[in-house]
Amino acid sequence: MKRFVFGLIAILLVVSSVFAASNDLEIFSWWTGGGEEEGLLALFAKFNQYYPNINIINAAVAGGAGTNAKAVLKTRMLGGNPPDSFQVHAGMELTDTYVIPGLMEPLTNYLKEWGVYDKFPKDVMKIVSYQGEVYSIPVNVHRGNVVFYNKKIFKKLGLTKEPTTWAEFFAAMKKAQEAGYIPLALGDKNKWTLTHLFENIMLSMFGPEDYKGLFDGKVSFNSPEMELSLVLLERLIPYFNRDHSALTWQDAGRLVFEGKALFNVMGDWEEGYFKTLGWKPGEDFGWFAVPGTSDAFMFISDTFGLPKNAPHRENALKWLKFIATKEAQDIFNPIKGSIPARIDADKSKYDVYLTWSMNDFATVAVVPSIIHGSAAPEGFVTSLNDTLNRFLVKKNISNALRDIMWAAEDQGYLTE
Amino acid sequence: MAQVVLENIDKIYPNGFHAVKNASFTIEDKEFCVLLGPSGCGKTTTLRMIAGLEEISKGTLKIDGKVVNDVEPKDRDIAFVFQNYALYPHMTVYDNMAFGLKLRKFPKEEIDQRVKNAAKILDIAHLLDRKPKQLSGGQRQRVAVGRAIVRDPKVFLFDEPLSNLDAKLRVQMRSELKKLHHRLDATIVYVTHDQVEAMTMADKIVIMKDGVIQQIGSPYDVYFKPKNKFVAGFIGTPPMNFLEAKVVKGDGGLWISAEDLKVKIPKEFEEKLESYIDKDIIFGIRPENIHDKSIYKGEHTNDVVKGKVDVAEPLGSETLLHVTLGGQYLVAKVDPTTTAREGTEVELILEMETMHVFDKETELAVI
Amino acid sequence: MSVQKNKSRMGFIIILPSLILIGIFVYYFIFWTIRTSFSNWNSFSSLLRGVYKYVGFRNYERIFMDPRFQTDLWNTLFFTLFFILGSVGLGLFLANLIDKGIKGSRFFQNLFLFPMAISFVVTGTVWSWIFAPGNFPNDPQGLNLLFKKLGLEKLQWMWYTSSESIGHFNLALIAVIIAAVWQMSGYIMAMYLAGLKAIPEEILEAARVDGANERYIFWKIKMPLLKPITLSAMIVLGHVSLKIFDLIYAMTGSGPNNVTDVPAIYMFELTFRSNKYAMGSAISVIMLLMVAVIIIPYLYSSLRRGVSS
Repeated sequence: MKRFVFGLIAILLVVSSVFAASNDLEIFSWWTGGGEEEGLLALFAKFNQYYPNINIINAAVAGGAGTNAKAVLKTRMLGGNPPDSFQVHAGMELTDTYVIPGLMEPLTNYLKEWGVYDKFPKDVMKIVSYQGEVYSIPVNVHRGNVVFYNKKIFKKLGLTKEPTTWAEFFAAMKKAQEAGYIPLALGDKNKWTLTHLFENIMLSMFGPEDYKGLFDGKVSFNSPEMELSLVLLERLIPYFNRDHSALTWQDAGRLVFEGKALFNVMGDWEEGYFKTLGWKPGEDFGWFAVPGTSDAFMFISDTFGLPKNAPHRENALKWLKFIATKEAQDIFNPIKGSIPARIDADKSKYDVYLTWSMNDFATVAVVPSIIHGSAAPEGFVTSLNDTLNRFLVKKNISNALRDIMWAAEDQGYLTE
Repeated sequence: MAQVVLENIDKIYPNGFHAVKNASFTIEDKEFCVLLGPSGCGKTTTLRMIAGLEEISKGTLKIDGKVVNDVEPKDRDIAFVFQNYALYPHMTVYDNMAFGLKLRKFPKEEIDQRVKNAAKILDIAHLLDRKPKQLSGGQRQRVAVGRAIVRDPKVFLFDEPLSNLDAKLRVQMRSELKKLHHRLDATIVYVTHDQVEAMTMADKIVIMKDGVIQQIGSPYDVYFKPKNKFVAGFIGTPPMNFLEAKVVKGDGGLWISAEDLKVKIPKEFEEKLESYIDKDIIFGIRPENIHDKSIYKGEHTNDVVKGKVDVAEPLGSETLLHVTLGGQYLVAKVDPTTTAREGTEVELILEMETMHVFDKETELAVI
Repeated sequence: MSVQKNKSRMGFIIILPSLILIGIFVYYFIFWTIRTSFSNWNSFSSLLRGVYKYVGFRNYERIFMDPRFQTDLWNTLFFTLFFILGSVGLGLFLANLIDKGIKGSRFFQNLFLFPMAISFVVTGTVWSWIFAPGNFPNDPQGLNLLFKKLGLEKLQWMWYTSSESIGHFNLALIAVIIAAVWQMSGYIMAMYLAGLKAIPEEILEAARVDGANERYIFWKIKMPLLKPITLSAMIVLGHVSLKIFDLIYAMTGSGPNNVTDVPAIYMFELTFRSNKYAMGSAISVIMLLMVAVIIIPYLYSSLRRGVSS
């Protein structure tokens, strides 16, 4: 018994000394596969070239869109055991959960000290800020308001001009339907893709300024544009594949890839998906901004922040400084298939689609995504998911409006 | 009530086992017929074929003059009492007994009357509301019988109904069943391996071995006139003594002769044994027909053998002596006043009028 | 005497660790869930601050007024009903078939039992492919494709993506029920098979002689004797169905208009997606009560049976 106790103490001593005294850096993320993991590991490799003595602990938790990772992170934060730095979607997902309760350190002064504060678009800095302080550093940017289309079908239907208005869009869909194609592929088994589509409709109806205003308390949810968005969504329903609720976003993308569907509204991770299927951007598939949103960039971004009481705070700061550099961002993004959050990135490293996206990112208004956690808290997102899920079947606009108002009220948004 | 006729009945199982071979016999109306034999002799199979629970492979079965080979059990108007009673565990005693009547759509009042009547006969009227698991073995037995008699069937079939009871209860139930038979005036086919049950209850005994009927007859017949060595040895306790011997012609007639054994054959048997002179035979005599010479009061001549007592078993009413007789054994059931003890020599008198002789080859009875 | 005492103390020491662990990880957590369900902890920050504010039954009121939860309750009711009926019915049917000793019954027995060895997630995924409607009639998938090949286009249907309903019964549940029955009926079959084998052949023969035909024997003799097994089967199936999550989550998600949504999925989304811990806890407590309603009478009766025998 005595020997056992001593053994235990010895083990504890060894373990704790490893954790406490060592020169570690624990990075928490849900990048566990594909280009994401590759990109992360490339970042680690480069980081270690600068800081060879820092031992990086890759605390990645698998699971689609980080659902599992987020639960693990919450538990760790609740238990007072934060990682040194963790991946989080820009905006409310960080703010509502961790910044408001006071678990994060502001980074504004560091960004200024490193001289990178003005290297990011103002809109982006706004999204990652709370009460004037920046709380996380974006490493990559995805665009949400993109329509991908099958070029072969497009040509076959005699279409030449990419639609920029909803009227043109509907005309194209009608042609596709008459020719026996699925006009607009959707895979909303997991609900969020429908909200993804809807937030783009909202963006086109409200326009970028008013859309942002919804979440700043400047524009009321109870505006006619809200109803118009629902009306437009309802008009789109007949053009969906009828098995949409059995499919995921990949399945919907596949419908386009397999030549069964013409359009698909999805974030530009779909571009990476098409590439892995063997399609060439610009040859096999084309893209354009969701009608009425070409003046806006639906911003979806992975960022890293600095939790209070990070066990290796100095190393975490080194990590944050590193990922804010142009070099780090240009290492990570071409591999992952996204664009850098900095506007001064090296465009030669990116493909034809990403270059298009980068150009827009630098010029048009950047707006936060609801469904991807930037614009609104998770509670609002779930309510909106539910509302739209019901709306797609019931097609009851007044009920849907009422439910959206209730969800908005819960978050303290304007509903006057 | 009815007659049951079996004509050349065979049972061959799909695996090729030939359980009953060419069985033919008739159970007369109101007769108590016992199928007797060691386990595996085919007696239960025969009973189950009569019930319709086993298919008849070959032959004809008639109940009440009608061929019933292809008639369902429920339409044969028979009742079956199982060895382990087979009461329906989820029903009360009353419902167990009423089950068959309800199925036959009897009016409620008649069911009630019949069940209560049967319960009275069997002395289970106070148990009608109980479930089988609340009853003792004897009570369950009575319920099983009750379930049969309420139906008032043409034929009662009993499959070793007493074998799960303790010895004392068995004796009691034996006499009750016999009384019941008289009271019901029923045709009964009763299977058992217990020859005492068979002897005490049967009007007719059918003895079977290895699927073959050995003898059919009254208890008197099978005891006194066994047709072969098997029947002779199966009926009676302790079993008949069998000694290998020769028939020899000698002083004033025929003699049974073996080592330490020379006894005169009574005159009335001589004719039948003429052809066996100087041949090997099996000599059979029952233990109860052997007496201790020293205390025997009757007359006798030329029927004494001398042997050594191996074991003496006093049973109270009599004493069993196991005697060695020149390499062969003999059991004698003698008067308890005998003075013979283990290790002593004893002179025994054989009642030669009761002797049996069996052919050594065929084992069929000669006398 | 002292040996006895030592023995019982030893026994106590041996079970103590499991008592403590169960105490903490089951009963204390149940208590904590109940406590949470009466709190205002409906955001991560309120949970983090840890200041407990008692709000009475407000979370329960909100849950019961929530149309999604109302749908969930109806779905649970119909799913449980048809899932139990289907599994018990099919299990009983298969058990009888195999009990009759059809050729290769041993093989079929294992075949039918096999789905039980698969996790609900796998079952859900596979059946989501089978019942995936595709864009029928032109481009059907799964079963609909089979119907097309057989010239039975009329049978093509939306399956679990259907938003049709009869009263409160969402027809999309049919596909889910079929998958669940497929998974569990083999197990129920095994239970019934054991029960049927335990019925003495003589009892059935006695009934045959008494005049019962096979159907009557089945309903009046076999079924009453199998009652304890039917009860156990219903308990097993009932608590599976009231708590069902993985099968539906993998197979259909919540479905359009929540046609295949169940309380467990809503609880998961409220708690772990929306950070509405108090409302999620309220659903958990409601689910616990539903399961308790069917489990407690069973435990009570089996405990009493144990004491009396």
